[in-house]
Amino acid sequence: MRIVVFVKPVPEAETRLRPSADGARLDTDGVKWVLSGYDESAIEQALLLKEANAGSEVRAVTYGPSPRSEEVLRACLALGCTSAGWVEAPADLPPDVRLKVRALRQAAVRWPADLYLLGQQSLDTESGLLPLALAMALGVPGANGALDLAFDAARNELSFERSSEAGVEEWRLPSPSVIGLKQAKNDPRSAKLQNILKSRKMPIDRIPAVELPAAPEVTGNANRFRFELPPPRTGARLIEYAAPDEAAEKLVRVLREEAKVFP
Amino acid sequence: MSGPTLLLAETGPRGLQAASLETIGVARALAGEGPVVAVIFAGPSDTATAALAAAGADKVLCLRHPFLEEGRGAACAFVVAEIARELGVELLLVGGTPFGREVAGALATAWDALAATQVTEVRRTANGYSLKRPVFGGRASESLELAGPRVVLALRPNSFGGAPPTPRACAIEEHPVPTIPPALLPGTRVRVRPAESSAGPDLGTAPIVVAGGRGFKSPENFHLLEELAASLGAAAGASRAVTDAGWRPGSYQVGQTGRSVSPQLYIAVGISGAIQHLVGMMSSRVIVAINSDPNAPIFRVADYGIVGDLFAILPPLTKAIRTARGLPT
Ligand SMILES: Cc1cc2nc3c(=O)[nH]c(=O)nc-3n(C[C@H](O)[C@H](O)[C@H](O)COP(=O)(O)OP(=O)(O)OC[C@H]3O[C@@H](n4cnc5c(N)ncnc54)[C@H](O)[C@@H]3O)c2cc1C
Repeated sequence: MRIVVFVKPVPEAETRLRPSADGARLDTDGVKWVLSGYDESAIEQALLLKEANAGSEVRAVTYGPSPRSEEVLRACLALGCTSAGWVEAPADLPPDVRLKVRALRQAAVRWPADLYLLGQQSLDTESGLLPLALAMALGVPGANGALDLAFDAARNELSFERSSEAGVEEWRLPSPSVIGLKQAKNDPRSAKLQNILKSRKMPIDRIPAVELPAAPEVTGNANRFRFELPPPRTGARLIEYAAPDEAAEKLVRVLREEAKVFP
Repeated sequence: MSGPTLLLAETGPRGLQAASLETIGVARALAGEGPVVAVIFAGPSDTATAALAAAGADKVLCLRHPFLEEGRGAACAFVVAEIARELGVELLLVGGTPFGREVAGALATAWDALAATQVTEVRRTANGYSLKRPVFGGRASESLELAGPRVVLALRPNSFGGAPPTPRACAIEEHPVPTIPPALLPGTRVRVRPAESSAGPDLGTAPIVVAGGRGFKSPENFHLLEELAASLGAAAGASRAVTDAGWRPGSYQVGQTGRSVSPQLYIAVGISGAIQHLVGMMSSRVIVAINSDPNAPIFRVADYGIVGDLFAILPPLTKAIRTARGLPT
């Protein structure tokens, strides 16, 4: 089975978020770039499928600037991906998912697969648009929010569950498909030291930005003009009370009169 | 001359989704005096269609097709894109549910549109739309300007308060289903196991959520949470510690690997506030924490807190709420 996992470098969870000087974006100075939790799950899922289907290959692919792209791809190789692909991108892409679709489509043509896997959304911009936007562009079935994928080689089908308003849905999609993953069966593994060392010497296949097809008529203009932090949370106002009854009544009163959330 | 503002409504086991009703209010506000047309994959005499018609749309288009009613994102997006082209639509709105997110992504390609999800504020500008959305699990927000001939927005549930639009005369029409390309139709939804959720509203879109954590100690004690939820007409949720232990079904889980919620009011009971839980609920408008440990991280993101034993606090709290709401105690 050939699997391509699209990953995106995101600032590590502990990053102290700060707006840039112009207030329009995240200040990425000194930020450490890592795989997001959903992408880690997608890599874990791909490796589980590889282990269950002898002779499988897992290629991690990212679309991003240097050096964060190489860093994240090396992390994927250290986890057990068999190859890595990098589509070069400028650091500040306009917030238009069609630009990403154009680049990743190029990667999908270069590296055909039975499954194109992504995290269900990135952990920074959290848009969740890409899996279906890409599926439509590739002309293959797509689904987002999948849990625990399995591959049936005889029927050439992918099966998974996902939860929706209706309950837990069980799906079968023919391969190839584009699937956005919510969670693999296991929590993501971590890389062994010897594999981290080995990954440093593995090649990364590169698609330079100039090899992307000339910009199609992408109509319209998307522009990110502000990045801001919410007013700092000052911590909870603690209700003072002598007996539980008093705590209950005081809480009901503040919710009703102050927070105005109480029906 | 621009066409109508289009919205795609969603139905679920409880009829019309609350997220779709919220979408009508926003569509109405953005459309001004212009027409608001709603698309629904249901019949003209279904209750969901009637609810949609009563909520302030000018026209409801009903389309029936088993694959559309199953909520297949790609097929639904294809059909909606066809209708949008036919009507000359510039702005299309969907509710911020998992379905809405899929359709918005597919529409970016199928309708060649600019797209954004999790939108919490939006207004018209000279060039298009200016909008705001939370990023980094609610730890920051970004503002975007989308200036395009075609824009699709998925709205974050419970973000647009305000009075519901006044109902107006609404035409309900059946609309033929465009021929869906076979490439968009393969695959089978084998079956659906109905969620074993509480009797209350849907967790993902409920205006009030009460969630319980390991502090409940055992599954037998969760009736205290369900009773609190019932007193508020709220959805009940849980931390992963609780769903992993099987104390509550997986459909209750809130957080990074569970549901993401943004209600008006979130009450966390016996939940410590691990980062993976916080990213699923931190953009709730008002957060209340009840926890016996004054140093629990949940108190750092909460607006109001009660430090105390949940077993002592919940019964009188449920009673006080019932009394305040005029419910029998
Ligand atoms: C990859 C990954 C994904 C994850 N995804 C999620 C997710 O989606 N959602 C999620 O919730 N977690 C998730 N987790 C788990 C998360 O890290 C925490 O372990 C979990 O949220 C803890 O649940 P809890 O707060 O109920 O339990 P605990 O952390 O054990 O907290 C219990 C709390 O109850 C309080 N308490 C005890 N007794 C009482 C009492 N009598 N009265 C009042 N308070 C009391 C305690 O003071 C404590 O603060 C994930 C973890 C990983 C590694």
